[in-house]
Amino acid sequence: MNQRIFLWMAMAAVAPLSSVAGQTASQTTPKSSKPAADAKTPWGDPDIQGTWTSDDTWGVPFERPKNFGTRATLTEDELKDRQKRVEQSEEFVGTGGGNTHSPAVAELQAKEKGEAAPAPAAGRFGRGVDSAPVPGHWGEFARRPSHQTSQIVEPADGRLPALTPEAQAKLDAKNKVRREAIPASYTNWSYYDRCITRGVAGSILPVIYGNGLEIVQTPGYVAIRYEMVHDVRIIPTDGRPHLSSNIRSYMGDAVGHWEGKTLVVETTNFLGDRMAVGVNGDGGAPYSEDLKLTERFTRASGNSINYEMIVDDPKTYTATWKVAFPITQEPGYQLFEYACHEGNMAMHNMLSAARMEDKKAAAAAAGQK
Amino acid sequence: MKSKLLIAAAGIGLLLGVAPVWAHHAFAAEFDVNKPLVLHGTVTKMEWINPHAWIHLDVKNADGTVTSWMIEAGAPNGLLRRGFNKSSLPPGTEIVVEGWQAKDESTRMNGSNITYPDGKKLFIGSQGTGAPGDKGDKGDK
Repeated sequence: MNQRIFLWMAMAAVAPLSSVAGQTASQTTPKSSKPAADAKTPWGDPDIQGTWTSDDTWGVPFERPKNFGTRATLTEDELKDRQKRVEQSEEFVGTGGGNTHSPAVAELQAKEKGEAAPAPAAGRFGRGVDSAPVPGHWGEFARRPSHQTSQIVEPADGRLPALTPEAQAKLDAKNKVRREAIPASYTNWSYYDRCITRGVAGSILPVIYGNGLEIVQTPGYVAIRYEMVHDVRIIPTDGRPHLSSNIRSYMGDAVGHWEGKTLVVETTNFLGDRMAVGVNGDGGAPYSEDLKLTERFTRASGNSINYEMIVDDPKTYTATWKVAFPITQEPGYQLFEYACHEGNMAMHNMLSAARMEDKKAAAAAAGQK
Repeated sequence: MKSKLLIAAAGIGLLLGVAPVWAHHAFAAEFDVNKPLVLHGTVTKMEWINPHAWIHLDVKNADGTVTSWMIEAGAPNGLLRRGFNKSSLPPGTEIVVEGWQAKDESTRMNGSNITYPDGKKLFIGSQGTGAPGDKGDKGDK
């Protein structure tokens, strides 16, 4: 345990240095010497080190739209359509996304000319591959079209298994708090909103920005550092058992081992009833303290890893389920600092907005008397 | 666009014809979709802080007084990846910013577009816009 804490501290301290070192190496290394799918570390483990991102799965629905049924991949025509959308996203970003279609400017210009405001132009917002529009200035984009119809690949319909009645009740209670029109407290917001953590699943499922992760290996350990919200996992691969079940945390206790070229990581010892296995650690029903996540990292090529995560939580889901997608490397892509809490003015602003609503409501009520 | 401070009429809420905006936090909990603003002012500072960057802007009012505004931009990491850098908005730069005012009616807003005096535009966080220091190389992504 002491050794583990020491290693954690040592690796956390070295992480920024190692990324700088990695950068220098990548700048001086010819492209042809990219690690191959079967690359090994000097001590003989499969080499999955590097900086990766789940951006390419951005916009692929988490649950499969029902019209696809049990079909897990797109047809050639559907893929072409998605490819087109990827290109549109690239063009959108490359041309400054939406400048020429700014609704406010367009309306003001129309007003000056005495004309009616124009309808919003298509492409004014950034889009993920298939998802609802978001403002382009907050977005990251897929660079290659994914063949997948959903991120969930098991069960066969690509949809979340039914919740247990207990989990449904917890989800209902959570949603009630999240959707309160006038939030009463900081506790109305998620652990992510509050810059605490996104949990294990939330740290890798693709979102609109900050989808990078860095993997560093030493003999007997694999470390994974996620850009958003700054979590680091130190995963021993020396065959040790899990910590006592009395020791629990947001990120849980991860132990790993190698199966051929695949890193298998099993994580338990979570704090229950706080986060969900979903987007940003908040999408969906809160998981229980019995949650077990089994992740597989298999290097598929020089610049891609096949990632899988099996979710096993009988208190929450009536069956196990699995997500799978590739994480990829991009030239020049690196992790940046994400000191989230220090500058998180949103909590103050959202709470002061709520208190303003309280005042308005009180004034309105007084006026009616 | 000539107005120093123009509070655009509601109706531009067409933006909101789309799904609510979720980034690090809920846009709608913090900003008022019915209060779109266009500010013309001078940059005094840009804070490169997470989870969102903030631009400080002095706006001259019609009566000659000056109001200091804070404009929320995208995540610094996202801005950097789109080619935005520290020389993009040095103090003293005159800009027009569009966005939405904070719900608590403070002088804060969420920004969407920046227009420079020469007409160049910067969608806060994008690359390829011709902004200072912006290489606009799509191959970089």
